[in-house]
Amino acid sequence: MKKKISISDKTLKTINKKHLKPIPKWEFVIKNWGLWSTLILCLLLLIVGLALSLFGIIDNVIVPYLWLFIAVIFFIISYFIFEKTKGAYHFPKWQVFTVIIFIGLTMGAAFFKVGLANRLDQQLEKELPYYRHMVPMKLETWNNPSLGYLSGTISKVTNDSNFELKDFNGKVWNITGQNILIKGRISIVPSVEIKLIGSQIDGSSFNATEIRPWTGMGKNITK
Amino acid sequence: MIKKNCQNFDDRELVALSINDSQYFFCLMTRYEEKLSNYVRRFTYLPDDDIADIIEDSFINAYQHLNDCDCNLKFSSWLYRIVHNQAINFIKKNKQSLKIDMTDSDDNFIDWLVADTNIEKETLTLHFSDYIKTLLEKLKPEYKEVLVLKFFEDKDYQEISDILQKPMGTVATLISRAKIQFKEVYEKENQYQR
Repeated sequence: MKKKISISDKTLKTINKKHLKPIPKWEFVIKNWGLWSTLILCLLLLIVGLALSLFGIIDNVIVPYLWLFIAVIFFIISYFIFEKTKGAYHFPKWQVFTVIIFIGLTMGAAFFKVGLANRLDQQLEKELPYYRHMVPMKLETWNNPSLGYLSGTISKVTNDSNFELKDFNGKVWNITGQNILIKGRISIVPSVEIKLIGSQIDGSSFNATEIRPWTGMGKNITK
Repeated sequence: MIKKNCQNFDDRELVALSINDSQYFFCLMTRYEEKLSNYVRRFTYLPDDDIADIIEDSFINAYQHLNDCDCNLKFSSWLYRIVHNQAINFIKKNKQSLKIDMTDSDDNFIDWLVADTNIEKETLTLHFSDYIKTLLEKLKPEYKEVLVLKFFEDKDYQEISDILQKPMGTVATLISRAKIQFKEVYEKENQYQR
């Protein structure tokens, strides 16, 4: 009578017949590193998203919706990547949720507090075309000379770096500056509407470093 | 083929040796073949041929992933996890449901299960095992698998957590809820019979 072959015998035969070998350790190491690196990258993007959202919400300078959306997306991705790591199952889902939110909020708040969010926003505006279209500045931002933002209509021109501006509340400002960066097509002539970036000198004087045309979101509302 | 004598090696040593020599992996397979076959039979109630296929595929999978074996947990837990996942995939693929084989159920399991329920004395006689089995069939799959590991495989919470890849707290909750659901199923059945 033919002896019944065991599963172990059958499996060993298959392993030898197909010349199967254990997958090399380095493949698992790379996969593991890849997973953790992606997780760290996603957490960084979550932190950046939350930092810029806080910048938009607390400093009231930019519209934060895009950054909030980015933060939510990278929160979800971070969660699912963490769940794929070895040992993730030891932690209940609510704990993983809480820890990711805690890391995102504390680090994001720290980034915002030291001014990195503001700097990154300005850097992205310089480097990334259409960034300002996607993350517009809030209307009230441009009527805030103490924070370095002013807008209005040119009323009297001495030269390109010395003119008078009537803001949308009717107050007249004396604008001065050296090597002012002019963005877009603007002529410094009376009745042209502009936005300025710079610093307030006193109650009626403003030092401009950048001039932009008054276009974009809600100019009619402000007027 | 010369079979190695592996009696003096523990699982971890055999894993390390198996990476370079499949003969040592044969030792691991023979060590767990019966236990794992029984485990799959208990929570799937599949025919022997299907169980053999599941175990063989699991062994091959385990062999190929030896370098990824999580040595922080017991080798048996790692192997049970592979077999468990393989069995679940098989069941999903073949659109079957999880069933519990009660043929070798022990008294502890029965005592634990019927405690706090009002199962009547006369029920606890002739076809008791069949009766309990019918009730168990009605439990959610996640309750069935956790009961098999706890009461038939004698695994502790840590091992069940490693096999099912769920936190230990969740394992405890599942076991507790399994009992509550069993009681509900029993009461519902009893209500219809009255």
